[in-house]
Amino acid sequence: MFLTINIDDARPIYQQVADGIKELIARGKLAEGTPLPPVRQLAADLGVNLNTIATAYRELQKEGLIAVKHGSGSVVASRTTTERDQDELLRPLRTALTQMVLAGLPENKILKLVMSELNAVGKGNK
Amino acid sequence: MQPNWLLIVYYLLLWGSARVRGTYRRWRQPLLRGPEWFFNVHVQPDFYTGPGRKILNRYWIRIFVSYLIEVPLTIAIFVSGHFMYLIWLILGIAAFIHAFHVFSVDMAERQARQFAVSEAEQPVAAIALSLTSRRLRDYSNFRLETAIALSLVISFSWLAYYYFSTPEHHHFREVFAAPLFWLYVQMGFLLAKLVIVAWRAPIPQTQAEEHLAAREETRKLYIKACDRARVLLSIGILSWPILLSVPPAIMGRVNTIQLTAVLLLGMVLGIWQEIRRKRLLDVTLRARPVKFPELLGQSQALKWPLCYQPSVPMIVLKGVRGYSLNLANQLTQLGAAYLAGLFVLLALLRIGH
Repeated sequence: MFLTINIDDARPIYQQVADGIKELIARGKLAEGTPLPPVRQLAADLGVNLNTIATAYRELQKEGLIAVKHGSGSVVASRTTTERDQDELLRPLRTALTQMVLAGLPENKILKLVMSELNAVGKGNK
Repeated sequence: MQPNWLLIVYYLLLWGSARVRGTYRRWRQPLLRGPEWFFNVHVQPDFYTGPGRKILNRYWIRIFVSYLIEVPLTIAIFVSGHFMYLIWLILGIAAFIHAFHVFSVDMAERQARQFAVSEAEQPVAAIALSLTSRRLRDYSNFRLETAIALSLVISFSWLAYYYFSTPEHHHFREVFAAPLFWLYVQMGFLLAKLVIVAWRAPIPQTQAEEHLAAREETRKLYIKACDRARVLLSIGILSWPILLSVPPAIMGRVNTIQLTAVLLLGMVLGIWQEIRRKRLLDVTLRARPVKFPELLGQSQALKWPLCYQPSVPMIVLKGVRGYSLNLANQLTQLGAAYLAGLFVLLALLRIGH
């Protein structure tokens, strides 16, 4: 179970941390109720500023993915269906598909890649 | 054999052989990865025939700095006849060797980096941090922990009985000073074990498996070393009430048996340590050293060996002139508190003397 940071990625580090934890939750590797490392500890382990991790955790808390209990740290929250605009959810998918088409990938290959990722990420939804 | 002679034999035989082995190991260390490497720096082909020769020679000379300190002190101890100080000398020199070696290797690598292969000096693009939880009990042997706990209970119960049975004849320090000190040192090794288990650092994403294996082997070696020290200290604590209780007529013989046993045990554990170290070397050589990206950057404000930076909670921070120990880190504070406690305990144990 790994959190990955890529310095060539255009996203800021806090976003990569937040997205990485979201992915682990989606894949079921961080189950409901699993405690997350404390902000200070994760910042020390990664070698980043405290505020970077605090910002990542705040974003996750805002999206309802983690629950912060003062004194006992953060835990993965229970998954509840949230009302989100379908268009907003489709936007990143549209961007990724556009990039794949522009890269010259055939349609069947794109479909294969998408299904493979869905299977991997969707495991956490079962 | 008199205890003093046993101490001398212990010092010359056991410690002497450990020193020679350690010196030989540190001598070979720069070239372990082959002629293209200087420690963990991938150097240019003409490094060892050119500028690298001087850097290597200076490193080799620094290996012998500890001897410059140890030899005069050893002579002073032998001349004075206070051979018990040899134990303190061993502890002090061991700590110095480890700390100085880290500094010496770091200095050598920094000097060599200007002659490194440029591609190798590029930091890896992607790093990964394992979030899998590690618990102390996953690295602990239940039987060993039970044996240590039991030996401590027996020892201190025996000492308490010995002290309270005739308190007018026994001084508190005489009965409890040494065991309390060894117990505190043992707690220090347990604390070190906790730190080793909890310690996390990123690995390169490309060579994740090799680096993970190397880290895990290193972790296990250090944890075993801590457990070994705790066992030896427990034996020392357990032998104390025995030594206090034996009749004076056979005290010398019991002392001899005890020190001989420690000598033999030390030799066996030393051989075991070397076997484990060889296995660790085989695993760590498979993990190619990489440069990690500086996510925090070098701080211009850090000019001293100590700093207080609560917003960047790492133990050690990189400054303009080198590294700085961060007093805002909880582990640093714990370590400082432990050392302060050690000095207080040593001071208290001397009160009334």
